[in-house]
Amino acid sequence: MLPATSKNRFLHPNTGSWHRYMAVPALVLFSLFFLYPLSRGVWTSFTAWDGFSTPKFIGLANYKAFFQDSRALRDIQNTVLFALGSAPLLNIAGLLLALLLNRTFKARATVRSLLYLPAVISPMIMGSIWYLLLQPRRGLLAILLQQIGYEATSNWMLSGSSAMLVIVLVNVWQYAGMTMIIYLAGLQAIPIEHFEAAELEGASRGNIFRFIVLPQLTPALKINVITNIIGSLAVFDAILALTDGGPGYDTESLSIYIMRMSYGNKTGYSTAVALILFFIILVPVLFSLKFFNAKEKT
Amino acid sequence: MMKKRDTLDYPLYPVVLLIALLALIPFFFLLILALKSPEGGLSSIRLIPDFNWSNFPSAWKAGSLGKAMINNTIMTGGGIVVLIFLSSMAGYTIARFPSVLNKTIFAILLACMMIPGIINTVPLYTLLIRLRGINTYWAMIFVMATNALPFAVFLYSAFIRSIPISLEESAIIDGCSWFGAFWKITMPLLGPVTSSVVILQGVGMWNNYAQAVFFLQDKAHRNIPLAVSLFFQQYGANWPLMAAAATLGLLPAALMFLFFQRFFISGITTGSIKG
Repeated sequence: MLPATSKNRFLHPNTGSWHRYMAVPALVLFSLFFLYPLSRGVWTSFTAWDGFSTPKFIGLANYKAFFQDSRALRDIQNTVLFALGSAPLLNIAGLLLALLLNRTFKARATVRSLLYLPAVISPMIMGSIWYLLLQPRRGLLAILLQQIGYEATSNWMLSGSSAMLVIVLVNVWQYAGMTMIIYLAGLQAIPIEHFEAAELEGASRGNIFRFIVLPQLTPALKINVITNIIGSLAVFDAILALTDGGPGYDTESLSIYIMRMSYGNKTGYSTAVALILFFIILVPVLFSLKFFNAKEKT
Repeated sequence: MMKKRDTLDYPLYPVVLLIALLALIPFFFLLILALKSPEGGLSSIRLIPDFNWSNFPSAWKAGSLGKAMINNTIMTGGGIVVLIFLSSMAGYTIARFPSVLNKTIFAILLACMMIPGIINTVPLYTLLIRLRGINTYWAMIFVMATNALPFAVFLYSAFIRSIPISLEESAIIDGCSWFGAFWKITMPLLGPVTSSVVILQGVGMWNNYAQAVFFLQDKAHRNIPLAVSLFFQQYGANWPLMAAAATLGLLPAALMFLFFQRFFISGITTGSIKG
């Protein structure tokens, strides 16, 4: 028997213990490229810093400046508005599509794939494509309408609210297939006996949906609602591609504002904005987690 | 009775057709725009394409799209390899050995799962300047793998918990180490969850723009979303050329999806059910 020196611990497999530390490489990477910058960000949010010179501690001045900047407040409103439009619409559209495509018919698999296709394409590219199609006057749709004698006089890019509506609809078009797939998975997990029992009892379709389908869809609902809240409050590429934040700053989101402030040498300030965005995301996510976890228990 | 509930009623067929058309029409419009010949200008465009294929090579060359696709492949491939390697190991030890260290790591990762990358992009940028990581493949690979790490570790640990530990234990009785049991016994069983991680996170890495716009500034390292958006800024007057660039840009992801759609759908399903 070899003496149990530290060297032999590795030679003799059963006594080694490094399988217990297999998460350490992941932690190292995560610390360097996530936790460390995050904590640096918290610190720099209390400083005046251009990204190059020595940061100067200024306390809460960045946060005060944020809440006094009308553009920043407008951006909060835009971001929340986008999320309030996008997240519910995505879930409603996704659920309706899932209920429809859960039925059997010939081209079902093809239609499902077709609906999911936009979700694998970069939102930057997809936004650019819709820009080519929807641009007022110059866009393909406007030209085609003109050819059949319909002069499109309204210009959705003139006002922030109509521009935002277009962004929301494009986003729903792109990602409805994604929520649909998750709802479909949820629907297929419901045991068929539950339907049969309900049908034997003579339950109506509406009641089957309300009392059997909906409660069992809670896990799917939870995933969809939470990922959509996070995704839509961090919206970035789609807006840049479609409106570039315009007209003026009327559709600029907070994440775009963060990028522009950091380009403008306001590094300290932009990290403060990032933390504000973090809390704007955190609050609804924690609320929905609490709501869904309570629901799942009952 | 059963049949009636499961099959689609005939009145709903037009609805399905309409939905399918709605999903396809933008791509069709994009194609007729990309195939437009210069004669007559845009106002002469018709619903029947001109089949002027020359826009594609022009856009490919002008936008350096070939280079962007190589860059995308390197960075997404590298990011996925780093991610799979680290997250499968972490998921394994977290699932099998609930020590204080492992529980803490898991708690940290779970808490960070809901923080989108944009939150720490600016401080990360200053860190990467110091590490000389701006305009490098390795920095994007590590950053994208890091951002995907929490979710991937979560998926792996949930999946490994569902595999009976007795398989590994019998290998260990036969003289295998725990680490060897992981590589030889558990790893080959991780196919479904790995394909789920590859698909869910691979799409995100392939389409990354929010980090690329900060960390990849020179032409030689641009990824596809960046190349297409810069193309739009540069050639903002030539719509057929822009449409051709956008078509080429979406093609790799779309083709990958069409070839592997079965894996995509099941990958997303496993990923979301476990989540």
